[in-house]
Amino acid sequence: MATVSKKPRNREILFDSVIALVFILVACVDLCDGATVVDVYRLIQYDISGVPFGSRLASINHHAASLHFAPSADLSRTVLLIPLRELNMSFVQEYIGGSKPLGGLIFLLPQIFSFKNKGGASSNHDDGSKEPLKNVLDKLEQILIHTNLPYPVYFAFEDDNIDTVLLDIKKNDASGQPATATTGGYKFVVSATEPKKVGSPPITNIQGWLPGLKTDGDSHQLPTIAIVASYDTFGAAPALSVGSDSNGSGIVALLEVARLFSLLYSNPKTRGQYNLLFGLTSGGPYNYNGTRKWLQSFDQRLRESIDYAICLDSIGSWENDLWIHVSKPPENAFIKQILEDFSSVAEDLGFQVNLKHKKINISNPRVAWEHEQFSRLRVTAATLSELSTAPELLQSTGGLVDGRQFVNEAAIVRSVKLIAESLAKHIYGHQGKNVQIFADNSNLAVNPSYIRSWLDVLSRTPRVAPFLSKDDPFITALKKLEAFLLVSLVYSSKYFACLKELEDHTDEVNLQREVLDGMFTFYDSTTAQLNIYQVASVTFDLLLLLVLGSYLIVLFSFLVITTRGLDDLISLFRRPPSRKMKTA
Amino acid sequence: MTVFHFFNCAILTFGPHAVYYSATPLSEYDTLGTSIKAAVVYLATALVKLICLATFLKVSESDSFDPYQEFLKALIGFIDVAGLYFALTQLTHRNISQNHKFQAVGLGWAFADSVLHRLAPLWVGARGLEFTWEYILQGLEANANLVLSISLAGLGSLMWLRKNKPKTLIPIIYLCAGIVATMPSITSYLRRGLGWHLPKVVGFELFTSLVMAFISWQLFAACQRPSA
Repeated sequence: MATVSKKPRNREILFDSVIALVFILVACVDLCDGATVVDVYRLIQYDISGVPFGSRLASINHHAASLHFAPSADLSRTVLLIPLRELNMSFVQEYIGGSKPLGGLIFLLPQIFSFKNKGGASSNHDDGSKEPLKNVLDKLEQILIHTNLPYPVYFAFEDDNIDTVLLDIKKNDASGQPATATTGGYKFVVSATEPKKVGSPPITNIQGWLPGLKTDGDSHQLPTIAIVASYDTFGAAPALSVGSDSNGSGIVALLEVARLFSLLYSNPKTRGQYNLLFGLTSGGPYNYNGTRKWLQSFDQRLRESIDYAICLDSIGSWENDLWIHVSKPPENAFIKQILEDFSSVAEDLGFQVNLKHKKINISNPRVAWEHEQFSRLRVTAATLSELSTAPELLQSTGGLVDGRQFVNEAAIVRSVKLIAESLAKHIYGHQGKNVQIFADNSNLAVNPSYIRSWLDVLSRTPRVAPFLSKDDPFITALKKLEAFLLVSLVYSSKYFACLKELEDHTDEVNLQREVLDGMFTFYDSTTAQLNIYQVASVTFDLLLLLVLGSYLIVLFSFLVITTRGLDDLISLFRRPPSRKMKTA
Repeated sequence: MTVFHFFNCAILTFGPHAVYYSATPLSEYDTLGTSIKAAVVYLATALVKLICLATFLKVSESDSFDPYQEFLKALIGFIDVAGLYFALTQLTHRNISQNHKFQAVGLGWAFADSVLHRLAPLWVGARGLEFTWEYILQGLEANANLVLSISLAGLGSLMWLRKNKPKTLIPIIYLCAGIVATMPSITSYLRRGLGWHLPKVVGFELFTSLVMAFISWQLFAACQRPSA
């Protein structure tokens, strides 16, 4: 029989190889079709002087569980999906503080914390829950940042898809059947490469120069006033650290002050006898590393010409009083002058400015305020902030909770008025007189719509310095904007020509690129996509196999009985050798 | 784990063909060659069908049921019958009885159909992590299709190969063959015209295929009797 069927065999082989070819071709097309795909943002991974912090892994391939897991369950191969609304601190203490093994963590944040959430429409309807949630998230963020977690940790935002998944998972957990490989459920997959070190994190400082009116001699002989704000952020999720208040509000105020003064300086009659230096510095969360580099790059003459520097830090969500932080004693003449200027203007505007003195400890590497970097180089400086006490390292640096909806535009407008008026008082020597230069409705009024739109843009732009590339569009945009505000208005009415001339005017606005000092090391892969699969359990597959096997056996028996008769079937089992002959 | 599921679905989709071949006398008379020839004819027919579909049918943007288009599709579907006719009458392989010939042709036909239409989706889909019932249902559909193909081949062999059949049965044979040949159009109508879900459609297919198989069997037996 075998010889007879030789010819068909050959054909069979040909057919098989065709099938195999098709198999190989199809296997190359590896489709990734999850039931749900969710954007997730990874917890930051960084080292301070070689000590690891944050989430140390990026890829997930585990079953999911909710907070209602069985108390005795082994979670080392399980991803916990935790909505922020249900998070209790005892869990955080037990699992994160106690460093228990987990397969992974995914925190579900309410939509109000999303900067993609348009206009805060949803922030109105659950006002009551906003503040407690913010506090919880703030605490969680601080804990996560300062802990070494040997598993992947991600943040995601609530939406309908993931809510249904969460409901299902909870139902599973409640029925006492946690999802493991044998019971089915949901599988979470994040396919990410292993996080790599960000080589020499870049920091870029942007500086703008508004020269004062030269009466005789070089303009550099004129005294200089510096207005400085640090623009970068740090937070639990680098891709979500937009820092609307810290320090988006400072950037916006600086830009608006720059705009107002370039208007004044564009007219020779109102051009003051002070140079104005605007600095947007990077590296703020890391002890104002960028500020130090920027100052060190200064010419000695320039540094000495600085009368004083005003640093702006978190001025977007205050109610009745602002703080001026200084490191020189309040008896100092310059400090007195600054305080006098500010508090007299603040009185006119109807709020209070308080002075707070904090000595610098040179041996302590911690620099809590930006002005301390100036003070270390013996430049008089003060920080204007809504914070009454100095933040700790990596605290209030524009993390997860620092979103647009928690910033009050009116507060920024008032801050800008305060800064601009007191600077003008100093520059034009109007001390003691009640003059309002930037009065509402005048052409020098503070423009709330500029403030709003700049704030909106900043609140959509994550700005963690190590993850901003050298030629990041954001930095280029900031530079162009500052240049536009300063240069083009100086050469009034030639806006467009001046935009082209920008490149030549390195004297007016320029970028300074530096490398962050070695204490911090960062790791990449800040965003990923989470694929959620609904999977069947192994037991189901085994059962299915059993059912199919019995189906085929029944089918076989049925066919044998109907076509050859029952005896034939029985004889098959009696004489197995003959059966082999038949099939061959 | 997912390969396991793929394996299960593959057993369901292709297992019955193998079981049918080995359980029935087909394996004893070594009719594999006929089956393969039928499969080749099927491939050629499918190609012709594809060309016809591409030439005569508009690409419908919506998933709705358009009677005229569906009628055309059903007409093109009858190319299948022509292919089967060719396979049954023109392919004189070895001297195998009519009885085995139609089974071999139907088996090859159904197997080629399964490989062509179900293997690639199965390979791509059932290995994915996501679990759906779709591929199990597809496997069941393949079983129904096997039964229908063999029934159609059986009816075809009655129509074209058997000379001395009872006159009274001829219209019934033609009617049944017509029904079986239009089954794809009927299921397409159920799915898209009436919006039935896949499990319901597959259930219907299984049921009708068994009914048609029973009727064809009875017809075949009835034709066999006078000659036997």
